[in-house]
Amino acid sequence: MNDTFLISIVTFIYFSAAFVFLISIVFNKKSVDKWALIITVAGLILQTSAIIIRWIHSYQLGIGHAPLSNFYESLVFFSWSIIFVYLIMRKRYQNNLFGLLSAFFAFLILAYPSLSGKVNCAIQPLIPALQSNWLISHVISSFLAYACFAIAFGTSVLYLLKIKMKPSMLPDAPFLDEVTYKMISIGFVLLTLGIITGAAWADRAWGRYWGWDPKETWSLITWLIYGAFLHARLARGWRGVKMSLVSIIGFIAVIFTYLGVNYVLSGLHSYL
Amino acid sequence: MIKKLHKLFSSVKLAIFLFLFLAATSILGTIIQQGLSMERYKALYSPGVFSVLKLFNIFNMYHSWWFTTLLILLSINIIVCTFKQVPRIIRLISPEKKEVDDSIFKSSQIRKTFQSQKRLSDIERQAEIIIKSLVGTPVKMVRDDAIYFQAEKGKYSRLGMIFVHISILLILAGGLTGTILGFNGQMNIVEGEKSDTVTLFGGEGTKKLDFDVRCDDFTVEFYETGMPKEYKTDLTIMNDGKKVVSGTIRVNHPFIYQGLKFCQATYGIAGVSDFKVVTKNNGTGDETVLKLNMMKKVSLPGSNASFAIARFVTDHGGMGPAVLGVLLEPGKAHDIFWIFQNGRNLNQQQKGYFAFTLQDFSRLYYTGIQVSKDPGVPLVWIGFCLIMMGFILSLFFTHKRIWLRISGSQDKYEISIAASVSKNRKSFEEQLAGLTREAAVEQTK
Repeated sequence: MNDTFLISIVTFIYFSAAFVFLISIVFNKKSVDKWALIITVAGLILQTSAIIIRWIHSYQLGIGHAPLSNFYESLVFFSWSIIFVYLIMRKRYQNNLFGLLSAFFAFLILAYPSLSGKVNCAIQPLIPALQSNWLISHVISSFLAYACFAIAFGTSVLYLLKIKMKPSMLPDAPFLDEVTYKMISIGFVLLTLGIITGAAWADRAWGRYWGWDPKETWSLITWLIYGAFLHARLARGWRGVKMSLVSIIGFIAVIFTYLGVNYVLSGLHSYL
Repeated sequence: MIKKLHKLFSSVKLAIFLFLFLAATSILGTIIQQGLSMERYKALYSPGVFSVLKLFNIFNMYHSWWFTTLLILLSINIIVCTFKQVPRIIRLISPEKKEVDDSIFKSSQIRKTFQSQKRLSDIERQAEIIIKSLVGTPVKMVRDDAIYFQAEKGKYSRLGMIFVHISILLILAGGLTGTILGFNGQMNIVEGEKSDTVTLFGGEGTKKLDFDVRCDDFTVEFYETGMPKEYKTDLTIMNDGKKVVSGTIRVNHPFIYQGLKFCQATYGIAGVSDFKVVTKNNGTGDETVLKLNMMKKVSLPGSNASFAIARFVTDHGGMGPAVLGVLLEPGKAHDIFWIFQNGRNLNQQQKGYFAFTLQDFSRLYYTGIQVSKDPGVPLVWIGFCLIMMGFILSLFFTHKRIWLRISGSQDKYEISIAASVSKNRKSFEEQLAGLTREAAVEQTK
């Protein structure tokens, strides 16, 4: 079975999940909830299988490596991370809006390669710089962090919507504020781990743990913004609109760390 | 003045400002390429812009005076803020007083009071269940007028925040140590040659090593797709012309000697030699392989002509590597022509009695080795471990304390509960409300 074909099915599944979550929110039907969850879990299982199949396939091609090494693979893992984080946090924040956001983001990310048509989805061999034991831990911690920040971004935008337009469909503002904070605090720890594993890797590959390369610098910028967020909230008691804005700016920095550095700036991290 | 400074540095507002200011200014250095030569910058920017950028040392901004100042201010800020927290945290983690202060039941952040008409032993059992499921096994204390239960868990999670802040200081100190005592540069060594000079990055001149590094061999492998698979350098450390130790470096597999780290960084072709040119005598059909080096004349077998190569190009007109051959025959003007490699069109250059083909040649590589020394690394690693420990302590553990008092007398006991938690207060309160409700239900049964 071709893994890219499975991923296109998963893309459709996440779209359906988002749609069913939307129905359950709009019509406020509890019976639909269960279905949305089942569809999401099915999507994650299929996506996990696709990742494993790709992994095995790379070994059959004689260039075996974890499927975390190019843009396409990073997109697939990014969307996987979002659904994974959602399913873990679900018990705590039983709200379908949370599900709608996650499924919709996961769908958008997976749809991007097929819409743009410029993303190479072939399995490529690993260039020397990527042949490292640090690859897996660095990529996993970084993308789980991105996933947390993506969800926090979603809840921050909804918070602003709730405050400005007061739609009854959305959950209470304090709830959204709380989810934003929780996702950012977990994301911050994961981002720190991602930077640490990246530094350890850079030390092996380039002989220095930190070199102010654009990718490194942007990860620090992201870290500083979310660091400011946590201090403002925990020590200064900031809440609400201000915090949502910081969270949105933080996510812009995340996107720039992930993509902008590769497309706009130049540096050592020219692979993703 | 000192009071004002102390107030400034003990404020979290300053920390937030510094975080955001560092973030905003850091962007500059990712847009303006760092560490190029001044000539390049002069070509890139107009004189006015150039002088402003130079004034603020934007071309090497992460090591500039103002960026360093910001980091020092942040360090002072962290030290002052952390020390301010120390007494409170020591108080929180030091052992509980044996005597319970009754004011807790009026002042604690989480409080609850209810009455019960059950027997004392039942109430005590219930109290233990509540405390056990919320916090942990309680300690019981009996005073003449009341019975107290008390439990505490996870007090060391309070240290998490201190760990995180100390680790940031360690990492900054490690970075500073590396900047002052370390260096980072590159040496390019041709295969078979040795060098002891490192060209430092950022145009900071060169550094002589106490020993020589000899490049014994460099190899590069490619995948079928043409993507690079492996770069490898075999090197030997030499001291006064004597071998000390040999090693191999590949990307991600550095070689470490005397605290210096040697990493595979780049490579290139330094030269070519040992050309093999096949000549075919068109008369006899005999083929001979000529072994040639640049500008060294050899005689062609079975004739009085001689041959030499005068030039090499890696790619001649898109037809691959080629050598410029010179054919010298007595009594004739010398003949100059390009000779191409096997399997290419035009590869057999017909010249009179002879046909020429370039069969092979050996490439002489140079390897680019990044050499670095950073005595600050251990501090940074300790910082990294400590920051993760700090995060785990403060993320996965909660400091919970609970006190319960049973007072009053038979038929009408009063149960007072006081508690404090370091986080997730809401869910703790919900849990407490649920448990006390259960107790109340049991009571009415």
